[in-house]
Amino acid sequence: MSPFSPLSGGLGRRHFMRHMAATALGIPAFRFFSDLRANAAQARKNHRSCIVLWMSGGPSHLDIWDLKPDSEKNGGPFRPIATSAPGVMISEHMPKTAQQMHHLSVLRSLDSKEGNHERGTYLMHTGYVPNPTVVHPGWGSTCAFELGSQLDNFDLPHCVSINSPGVGAGFLGMSYTPFMVQNPNAPIANLQPPGDVDALRMNRRLQMLGQLEDQFIAQRRTPPAVDHKAVYGKTIRMMNSKYKEIFNLKTESEAVREAYGKHSFGSGCLMARRLVEQGVTYVEVSLGGWDTHADNFEALSTRLLPELDQGMSALVADLASRGLLDTTLIVWMGEFGRTPRINQNAGRDHWPRSWSVVVGGGGLKNGQVIGATDKDGVDVADRPIGVMDLIATMTKTMGIGLDTQYTTPRGRPLKVVDDGGKPIEELFG
Amino acid sequence: MRVRRGRMWGRGIRGSSVAAAGRAALVLALALGATASRAADDPKTASSSGANFLDPLLEQAWEEAGVKPPRPASDEEFLRRAYLDIIGRIPNVQEAQAFLTTREADKRTKLVEYLLNHVDYPKNFATIWTNLLVGRGDQGRNVDRRALSDWLRKQFVADRPWNEVVYDLVTATGSNRENGAVNYTLAHLESEAVPLTSRTTRLFLGQQLQCTQCHDHPQNDWKQSDFWGMNAFFRGIKVEEKRAADATGLERYDHTELSDQPTDDFARFDKRNGMVGVAFPRFLDGEKLSPGSKLIRRVELGKRIADPDGDLLPRAMANRMWAHFMGRGFVNPVDDIGPHNSPIAPEVFDKLTEEFRDSGFDVKQLIRWITSSKAYQATSLRVSKRGDSPGDQEEDDLFNIMALRPMTPEQLFDSLMTATSSHRPGATRDEGRRDNWMRQFLFVFGNDEEDEATNFQGTIPQSLMMMNGEMMKEALSGKPDSFLADVVDRARGARSPAVQMVDQLYLAALSRLPSARERQTALRYLQTQPDSMGVLQDLFWALLNSNEFILIH
Repeated sequence: MSPFSPLSGGLGRRHFMRHMAATALGIPAFRFFSDLRANAAQARKNHRSCIVLWMSGGPSHLDIWDLKPDSEKNGGPFRPIATSAPGVMISEHMPKTAQQMHHLSVLRSLDSKEGNHERGTYLMHTGYVPNPTVVHPGWGSTCAFELGSQLDNFDLPHCVSINSPGVGAGFLGMSYTPFMVQNPNAPIANLQPPGDVDALRMNRRLQMLGQLEDQFIAQRRTPPAVDHKAVYGKTIRMMNSKYKEIFNLKTESEAVREAYGKHSFGSGCLMARRLVEQGVTYVEVSLGGWDTHADNFEALSTRLLPELDQGMSALVADLASRGLLDTTLIVWMGEFGRTPRINQNAGRDHWPRSWSVVVGGGGLKNGQVIGATDKDGVDVADRPIGVMDLIATMTKTMGIGLDTQYTTPRGRPLKVVDDGGKPIEELFG
Repeated sequence: MRVRRGRMWGRGIRGSSVAAAGRAALVLALALGATASRAADDPKTASSSGANFLDPLLEQAWEEAGVKPPRPASDEEFLRRAYLDIIGRIPNVQEAQAFLTTREADKRTKLVEYLLNHVDYPKNFATIWTNLLVGRGDQGRNVDRRALSDWLRKQFVADRPWNEVVYDLVTATGSNRENGAVNYTLAHLESEAVPLTSRTTRLFLGQQLQCTQCHDHPQNDWKQSDFWGMNAFFRGIKVEEKRAADATGLERYDHTELSDQPTDDFARFDKRNGMVGVAFPRFLDGEKLSPGSKLIRRVELGKRIADPDGDLLPRAMANRMWAHFMGRGFVNPVDDIGPHNSPIAPEVFDKLTEEFRDSGFDVKQLIRWITSSKAYQATSLRVSKRGDSPGDQEEDDLFNIMALRPMTPEQLFDSLMTATSSHRPGATRDEGRRDNWMRQFLFVFGNDEEDEATNFQGTIPQSLMMMNGEMMKEALSGKPDSFLADVVDRARGARSPAVQMVDQLYLAALSRLPSARERQTALRYLQTQPDSMGVLQDLFWALLNSNEFILIH
């Protein structure tokens, strides 16, 4: 609910000014064009990326990653199958992903405590529960801020969200907010200036705009005014970049497109691969429709799992074959899991108490199952994992210091990884 | 001076000058005089000259915090923000000129009065509340969004007391086409009315209970049973799709009918320990509905929410309206009020809540009080260069400097339309076109809470739309009958046509004249470039793309 909601605020101003140089703000309008020497590919070296596969609605983990064939009341109709990782069993409706499980690890004991979509989405993206005094940055925006902003002369947004808006940058400001690709199968809207506006005129427009922007910023000096210019700077870079073709999947071979699937999730996964290949730091690909209060098994077996299986397995295999998997962390998650109990509508309801998240790539020790739930899937039976443990694991994998800390707009310290969070040791060699 | 009991006065003005509003757009100066004289005669109108009852409390808060009282906003700043906040769009050239050239001392009070009587005031607040009540997306055929919006507009036209409007929304029955209010309930009934429960408590009572759906609240005293006690009020509700013969005699869906009947039903919920809990209707204050009664549950809920002596409803509205005009509420998020979330300037908040309730929930009076306060009259300009001090943000919290706020998509669309049709006096809003345009930025999550988001405010897709989009192309068209063509036509024969053209563009886009320097720069372009239409287009493009245009300041 954004109308009427309060401003998200900004960084403490000192903090904020220091980082302005990292944005396009430093570039005067008339240099917007001449500065566009793209060398994103060079920046790729040693750069780490993360792809989050976001299952909007709350995926039924017990029917995908943590099957309970021995539970009479909670088991459901799906059977487990063996995978490429010895001893790891997953759902029969994930046969292609089963062949990639040596690149992935299942965390089966997540306890996240938020069973409301909005709050669960916020928690899983930021590591924090909503708090009236601060708007936390999404973890993807934190990565963009910490890693992406270190890339010189980078034309693409550092943080991209495909098929859904993702979670905003909170006090890190608008220029780290995810760039949303609404439909990966369609061209980005309005990327080209109208035909009668040539480079000369565009330049004149930007000169005029630059003067207005700077004057307004000088008078107000607050994040919304500064962010506006920074976002325009990024937009203009993108418009003029040769890498804007990255968003056009038509340049991929038909075989590759078929492998990923041409549905929005498969295409999103393919676009994610193309983006991290060029050095984009964080890409989220969303697959919706998981809020299966009714007809859970039908929705999963006929629609959700086939799409997920195809897109996810193609992505992992493709990243591995291109040598990108060691520097690309993959995280599969949603806002919560679903109830072990099957309700009267053959559905499962919201369940944040004991559920599964999958991680992979990123140079982690994969092919494991970590943690366990009991026979009926109700309680965590082994190695409870908190959301902050997951965030700590992701943060460490990206090479971001676990002690990274910001000052909120109200002058309070805020850690990327809160005190309680510990990286999951089993994943690190 | 303390102002008590706005009630009498509020009732007196109700429904008075709706008709005047239509004419008023053309004869602003006249309308200013006509509608304002009544306001000026009344001592309770509390003009900006210091009579506002909030000011002493605000001043006290500033003094205690050791911050300087705000410097007043310029006429240009005030004009623009008042138009955007009250009627949802920027002023057009004529409206801007009329206000800026008038020298009357109380012209700000008069402007607010003019805007409150403007035909766009009820439209604007109907749009805002439609979005809050049912969201921006398409909710399917059971929800007639337009009927709800029309119903709301009528309530704002009639100046109905807010608690009565809310009572009607909560208890409405009948056809979703004929009684627009029923669409609120119809939109949120699925999943055992869980969305209706959380929206009702958030919007009308300022309480976030939705997380207690699954567990007790981590930060305040709300329990899981509180949520389901409220939820149990939404039982005994009947929804019927009615069919009727169309023009060709074919029977098809016509409308949806909402009704209630007494019930003994209760809410069932999963506790965190795996047990199933049961809840009968119980209001937030703990009052239970006696079981087995023949009462209609939504009526009982409506009575409790709309209680004229209650605190939660006026508090929630006072906070939301303050946030609407100031960029943030006394309490934020605006619908999370409670002991766990301490307010900014609590004395001001309490006083505004109390006065709003005592006025008989008079929304226009609430707007008059807020807009005439020193907080709303504050400038958004910062004085010194010591902007780096970390304490600044905290100081801003005290409403001593006006926050910058991005326009909503609706404000942006209507403002672009206003800026580019100033020359067409009869031009009215095209809400259908606006809704279509907006859908491209809308994302609906498709979960049982009907969450949605706009991919809009200040992100790259929005800048791309503003820079290269269809609407901008249209706005810049120099074709006959376009705004720019009109600007050129009118300037012919003026003493200095170039100056007049530049001034018109600044007034249309930014509601102010250019500074001497800005004017010089623009004139230099016009003198040195052969294609003056091209220069005008580029200048107008820059003005409409600027942070000054899109941020309410």
